[in-house]
Amino acid sequence: MNRTSIIALLIFGAILGYFLSFGPDTTQKFQAGAYQLISPFLTKGSGLNKEITSVRGKLKSLEELEKDNGSLRVENRQLKATNQALRDVEHEVNRLRHALNYRERSVFKLVPAEILTRDSSTWWRTVTINRGKEDGVEGDMPVVTDEGLVGKTTTVSKNISVVLLVSDENCKVAASVEGTREQGIVSGERVAGGLTPLLNLNFLSKQANLHPGQKAYTSGVGGVFPSGLLIGTVKSFHVRELDGQAQLNPAVELSHLEDVFVVTGRK
Amino acid sequence: MIFFIILLVLAFIAQMAELFIPPLPWLFNAHVYIAPVIVFYGAVVLPFPLMLALAFFAGVLLDVLTVQVIGPRVEISLGSSILIYGVLAGIMHGLRPLYSRGRWEVHCVMCGICTSAIVLAQYLMITFRRGSVFFSKEVWWQIGGPGLIAMLISPLAFWILHWIARATAYPYLPGRSRLEYE
Repeated sequence: MNRTSIIALLIFGAILGYFLSFGPDTTQKFQAGAYQLISPFLTKGSGLNKEITSVRGKLKSLEELEKDNGSLRVENRQLKATNQALRDVEHEVNRLRHALNYRERSVFKLVPAEILTRDSSTWWRTVTINRGKEDGVEGDMPVVTDEGLVGKTTTVSKNISVVLLVSDENCKVAASVEGTREQGIVSGERVAGGLTPLLNLNFLSKQANLHPGQKAYTSGVGGVFPSGLLIGTVKSFHVRELDGQAQLNPAVELSHLEDVFVVTGRK
Repeated sequence: MIFFIILLVLAFIAQMAELFIPPLPWLFNAHVYIAPVIVFYGAVVLPFPLMLALAFFAGVLLDVLTVQVIGPRVEISLGSSILIYGVLAGIMHGLRPLYSRGRWEVHCVMCGICTSAIVLAQYLMITFRRGSVFFSKEVWWQIGGPGLIAMLISPLAFWILHWIARATAYPYLPGRSRLEYE
């Protein structure tokens, strides 16, 4: 090893040591700053990704239409394409109208946000949204849709935030089950086998005897999540050595999220 | 130097692209990792100081995108990916003489193994933090899957990078070491 390599190794070690010494606050500040730097790439990439997905979606629908209208395929191709485009616009309008209605009737102050990236790594269930400090978003704010709870914000930069999904093992939510006095803590699984992850509702009493279909809501304990937000529905219940555990299907389809709301307070 | 800058840019683009590539449901939701393939290629063709610089850059990027600060604690410290990349790139750099003899297939296999090693290291770190060690079939696939994919795409990636190296007149083949002459 020559002298240049040794010097390079020493510099590498020194910078590495410096990084490893960062505490939570410095780490979060560094991460927020870095997210701010890469935010133009994330926004552009998200737009490009949506365009590609939409083209793929259109081709699929055309295939289905072709099956149904085999004999009229050639004559109607142009018409079908126009219809498809209009249908996409209609779907978009309906989705936004739905979201707007929810925002208006909600008791919370909601900041609408769009998903930029999702599930960027193997072991953490997170998404990034296009809202940040400039929009009044802060760390540990609940994120919801009209269907239920999505998760909470962690790192927040000027105009991008990271949302820890309710399906992550680290996102712990105090919950109560409808029609019972049962309370527990919901958290995700470390490793999800399927596309739709399940949630675990732990620390229930052994006598809870929950039935499939019962709904679990946030109980408001802990201060991060307000009470009454739907988390999911019970899929199964089993008794463990010390407590009862229920598996929940999340209320929100987390793998297909497009728009969410950050709860910044009450109206 | 131009080739080194190109590798930095490609590593950045690959890291950004990974964010938009969905996990593969038919491979137990394994993720596709492209950036490590570029870094490990760089580890083979770059001189030691530049290899460390590339590993550092890729490590910082990976850390920024994966580090989770949950309340008052950091799940994986900022810098851990730099360390992992540094060690693994160092191992790849040690296999440089083999590459100069034209045995690039060894590096493709190693590229896959090292990619899986990154995911395994992350899993071990979070397991250490959260407790309850378990290795299910899903866990093994989510660790092995990215390595398998990296192994499969590495010949094509190496060929493209090799072509870029030639186009930029980079003297990519390392000189024969004294050990080989003896």
